Amino acid sequence: MSIIGKNIPHDSAPGHVSGESVYIDDIAPSRNELLVDYFGSPFAHGRIKSLDLSDALKVPGVAALYTYKDLHHNVFGPITQDEILLVEDVAEFIGQPIVVIAAESRAAIKAAKAAIKLDMEELKPVLTVAGAIAAGQYLDKTYKIERGNVAAAFASADHIIEGRFVIAGADHFYLESQACLVYPGEYNQLTIHSSTQNPSEVQHVVAHLLGLQLNEVVCLIKRMGGGFGGKECQATHPAVMAALVALKTKRPARIVYTKDDDMKYTGKRHPYQNDYKVAFDSEGVITALEASLYADGGAYNDLSTAVLGRSLTHIDNAYYLPNLLAVGKICKTNFPPNTAFRGFGGPQGAITIENIMEEIAVYLGQDAYEVRRKNCYGVSDRNVTHYGQLLVNNTLPQIFDELSQSCNYAERVTAVKKFNAESKTHLKGLSFTGLKFGISFTNKFLNQANALVNIYLDGTIQVSTGATEMGQGVNTNIKMLVADEFAIAPEHVIVMTTSTEKNNNTSATAASSATDLNGSAAVNACLKIKERLNVVASNYFAGREIGIGAYSDSIVYEGGFVFDERRPHVKLTFPELVNLAYRERVSLGERGHYITPSIGFDWSVGQGSPFLYFTNGASCSEVLIDRFTGELKVERVDILMDIGKSINPGLNRGQITGAFIQGMGWLTTEDLRYAASGALLSYSPTTYKIPNIYDTPPVFNVDTIDNDCTVNVKGSKAVGEPPLLLAFSVFFAVKNALSYVSGKEIATLVTPASGEEILSRLTEYKLKAAGLPFTPWPAEAGSVLQRAMSRAKGYSLIQDSVSAATLAEGDTIKIPVTVNGNGAGNGEEPLNGTNGSALKASEDEQELATEAAI
Amino acid sequence: MRDYILLYVNGREQRISAAQAFQPASDYLRLDLGQCGTKVVCAEGDCGACSVMVGRLATEAGLEPGNELTYVPINSCIQYLYQLDCTHLITVEGLKFDGQLNPVQQSMVDSNGAQCGYCTPGFVVAMCGLANDLQSQQQCQGKTCYPSEKQVKDSLTGNLCRCTGYEAIINAGMAVDLGRYKSFSELYPDKEMVANFKAHAQNELMLKLGGRTAFNPTSLSSACKFLNEQEKVVIVSGGTDVSVNMNKRDLVPANVMSTAALPGLSELKVLDESGRKVLSVGAKVTLRQLENLMKDLVPEFHKILWVYGSPQIRHAGTLAGNIANGSPIADSTPFLFLMEAEIEVTGCGGVRKIPMAEFYKGYKQLSLHKDELITRILLPLPHANELVKLYKISRRQHLDISAFTAAIRISLKGNIIERAFVVFGGVGPVVMRCAAVEAALLGTTHELVTYEAAGKIAKEVITPITDVRGSRDFRLALAENILSKFYFETASNEREFACR
Repeated sequence: MSIIGKNIPHDSAPGHVSGESVYIDDIAPSRNELLVDYFGSPFAHGRIKSLDLSDALKVPGVAALYTYKDLHHNVFGPITQDEILLVEDVAEFIGQPIVVIAAESRAAIKAAKAAIKLDMEELKPVLTVAGAIAAGQYLDKTYKIERGNVAAAFASADHIIEGRFVIAGADHFYLESQACLVYPGEYNQLTIHSSTQNPSEVQHVVAHLLGLQLNEVVCLIKRMGGGFGGKECQATHPAVMAALVALKTKRPARIVYTKDDDMKYTGKRHPYQNDYKVAFDSEGVITALEASLYADGGAYNDLSTAVLGRSLTHIDNAYYLPNLLAVGKICKTNFPPNTAFRGFGGPQGAITIENIMEEIAVYLGQDAYEVRRKNCYGVSDRNVTHYGQLLVNNTLPQIFDELSQSCNYAERVTAVKKFNAESKTHLKGLSFTGLKFGISFTNKFLNQANALVNIYLDGTIQVSTGATEMGQGVNTNIKMLVADEFAIAPEHVIVMTTSTEKNNNTSATAASSATDLNGSAAVNACLKIKERLNVVASNYFAGREIGIGAYSDSIVYEGGFVFDERRPHVKLTFPELVNLAYRERVSLGERGHYITPSIGFDWSVGQGSPFLYFTNGASCSEVLIDRFTGELKVERVDILMDIGKSINPGLNRGQITGAFIQGMGWLTTEDLRYAASGALLSYSPTTYKIPNIYDTPPVFNVDTIDNDCTVNVKGSKAVGEPPLLLAFSVFFAVKNALSYVSGKEIATLVTPASGEEILSRLTEYKLKAAGLPFTPWPAEAGSVLQRAMSRAKGYSLIQDSVSAATLAEGDTIKIPVTVNGNGAGNGEEPLNGTNGSALKASEDEQELATEAAI
Repeated sequence: MRDYILLYVNGREQRISAAQAFQPASDYLRLDLGQCGTKVVCAEGDCGACSVMVGRLATEAGLEPGNELTYVPINSCIQYLYQLDCTHLITVEGLKFDGQLNPVQQSMVDSNGAQCGYCTPGFVVAMCGLANDLQSQQQCQGKTCYPSEKQVKDSLTGNLCRCTGYEAIINAGMAVDLGRYKSFSELYPDKEMVANFKAHAQNELMLKLGGRTAFNPTSLSSACKFLNEQEKVVIVSGGTDVSVNMNKRDLVPANVMSTAALPGLSELKVLDESGRKVLSVGAKVTLRQLENLMKDLVPEFHKILWVYGSPQIRHAGTLAGNIANGSPIADSTPFLFLMEAEIEVTGCGGVRKIPMAEFYKGYKQLSLHKDELITRILLPLPHANELVKLYKISRRQHLDISAFTAAIRISLKGNIIERAFVVFGGVGPVVMRCAAVEAALLGTTHELVTYEAAGKIAKEVITPITDVRGSRDFRLALAENILSKFYFETASNEREFACR
């Protein structure tokens, strides 16, 4: 009777519901503790002319002020070391820290901020992807994945759609803002309590910037009040500031961002502007895709390189693309560095091909599900990704077929058509989207973990791993895995506070892989202990039972007991065995190490098998739109996923529903609005609207298929990020609804499909139907930073008898573009693919740059 | 005069002097009492993580203080301590039954209603508030009885969760066996608290710290006198906006006067004034009380009150406060303009009534004399044969501030528009009646072309701005379209489409 597959509650749930769970800011202050905050740049781009701290230092209660001069190093970064923590000369985003403030009270911090005299010259910021392209500002090289013969495929294409898809960022909106508490120790040692997904990175960055050895810094994290990727890298900034204060003053130092500051000054999901050109036959089967992905990286690289990499490897989503050229660039803009966010670039890649699927269907007058089904990866053929990884045991066709049946897709399409023909006040839309998400860090060396398992004499166990608990239940999974190895009750296993003291050189809790990696490492530790316990047990049973020699392979752990399977009536309890082993002087603690097997990727050729397996799924959403107000209601959602065999199905369901709703928020109500200065205007829940309880669809069917992922621990699959991509179906249901009123045009929209965005599309199509012009909103250049617009245009090479080769230069799609918030008026910008040849990133950039510079 | 606040926290008496009084309850709980179960996330009442139950001497609609405490959930981050004199706070730490998880807590555990746990205390408190309300109802006593999905959702619109997608929380709420739930008065017998509150309530509370004063008068004359004598007095009722300005926008009023102890302002009743029903709403009537009454009385207004802020906001905020706050995007005021409500104000010289149309002089500028405060709102109710529709457009349905509001009221004679009232909010510095649109409608036929034409006029005469809640163009389009929407919702031959 294994515990695996059972629904036991989250190990912290009783504490959560009674308010007893402790987060960083709940730790009682010590007597001499200092509060830490910082003074940041008022400009998105500016040069410091002078900085005078003399008055601020005199503010009563101010203990110390520090600048970059007080740091040992000031440059860091997880991939490329390009980030400046404390501004030395030029500030690159609003709120970039300049002065670290340590004080006895919040009032003193506030007074100090007011007393700091900063003279800064404002420089012109770059705040749009188009602006960065125009300025040639990139944070890394161009990345590329290529397969087949794209040029030939376009030359012989039946139909082509060219378009641009504009994707907004999103705030993580973890409820617990960034927080850190640092205790100085003897000599230069520091003990850091950080709300981080990556304690090793906090340890590394603190040590590096403060000039300490790694072994002098211990970072601990009991739990986070949510992370979602936002605490993978950006927990380091507050940690360094608090650690600097603790090191210099020898006093405990606490920094806790307010929600407003956290939203204003930390990185977000990367906005993208993706240009594409797709060739397909009259059946809707894609023959080639060219795509240029432009990620808005913000001011520094952070994790952008890896995020972009995942966009490129997920540009296919669930669909086979025989010929492909996908290039990606990271634009440098004057925003806080954008960072990891659940899905890690995967969503921004995958949503692009789903957008294309919707457009192909509209263009050909076919059903969008049918188009997707035809393009879906196959089981025995059409089953190699564009980067050369074979899909083993591909469950996508099964999921598509089963879900389209169970959600009554075909009948509902008919009903939606009828509704839209009849209703004068509302529009409905229906969309079915797929999901294939690769599991493993794309950076190979990160795919390792270690775990420490200690057994005590009463048979209870402590486990420590590098995994961090942010609500997802990784600790509960690990507890179950360890309990299962010894067949003891899960209550007898505790997963301890994550600490770099117990687990060194750990990877971030990220890429959905925390249970895969750390759970496997914990199991490996258990197996090593069991090897030793089995010897003790077999010797014991051999001494008790005549006729059986000591044979450790026949020792069985079951229901809290240990026995020899050849004499199952003679049993030891687990604590008895542990005591026996202790008296035999057998070690009852062990470290396990795990590496993900058989993965690798080479970016120089854009090929490899970076993922251990794929988590698959599909979803179907139906939406209702008010034709007068643009108001959106998600009426029904059906989800079917392949997540292997669940270790804890209840926790996994929470991951699916939670990720879906989070994705839905990103694509509907969550609107990051910026002032023309680059300042975030929607910086608190008053103006930034994550889904509310009434936004959860009234009909929400969530199911999984039976599958055994034989390559992963207990046949399970990772589930943290993938279901976020299922929310695509909500967005494309909106696009589907708009297609009923967009006339001959392919309906397009940007994310998020807010009421305003939807009403602007409805208004545009209404005006155009009446032969009137439409000016994108807001029409006047104003205080709000304007956005680029999505656009698409399809054309047939058969009907027009125009061969690709003869498509004249300059025969371009005109796309209104806005640059630097200066209005949408003059910009008519050619999209990529002015002729039939394959897209070259450099040419495309030049075009964009030329236009944007106008 | 009394110089300390009397407060009970989880059944324990606390006396709070001026030194601690000028802070939100959430800070007091976390920093002074070290009870950190209550979380602060947004510090502006928009996430619910800081929810606590507040028990006050019962002031049911129209009643004076009774002999027991009634409990409602509030956001402790925007309730300053001087607003909470003579109340009992129950925090997440005070909810267990005899040291064991209560049925709400256990249900949240069993249903995986908590993931990261940071929003969980707020959800648990709000859900316990629901269970406390429902368990007292007849059908639940001693039987197995569960909250409905609607009851659960309605009670939790003020709480944001980023992890669960809410499904598990809804399931947890619907699985709470109300028959096993003990009321707050059973958990915390209130006899001693009630006696203590009544004894203290006689005595006016005056707190002074540095240059700041907080005053809770116990009579209107005392209140008017204070207003007359002191400079720059901020009157705090529910405090759901003032406190946000204190937390976020550096508002440090020299003088704060709370209406909490003022008697006689809790009346909520329907008057009959020469054939027209007029609702009399005392200044301390909460939006929640109004919401409950409107459910059957004016469902259209109930629709707006239902999405107004959150339960935590509506339990604290008042109609008078919403009027006095003077926001052009206030949710309640378009209806008041539409119905030509009157604001009764009281000053040292007595009582006078101000028509709603004359109450605002400009952005957040009120027609109030220095010594006056709002004591009552007289709200005429629509006749059954009037067509009345209210609209609130916001990014999210619940717990959001409007980008645009509209209120339309039409009387028809046959199919001819005999009277027309059209009110817009969010399109200028004040909520406004739109005379040009009204004129365009008068005397015309109740048909789509009429409203389409009126919509075009609306678009011409308003001058909205672009801000974080929406662009100027968005608001222009809404003003134009809303009239057509009104037509489809009110024309009998079109309603079947509108109801979809």
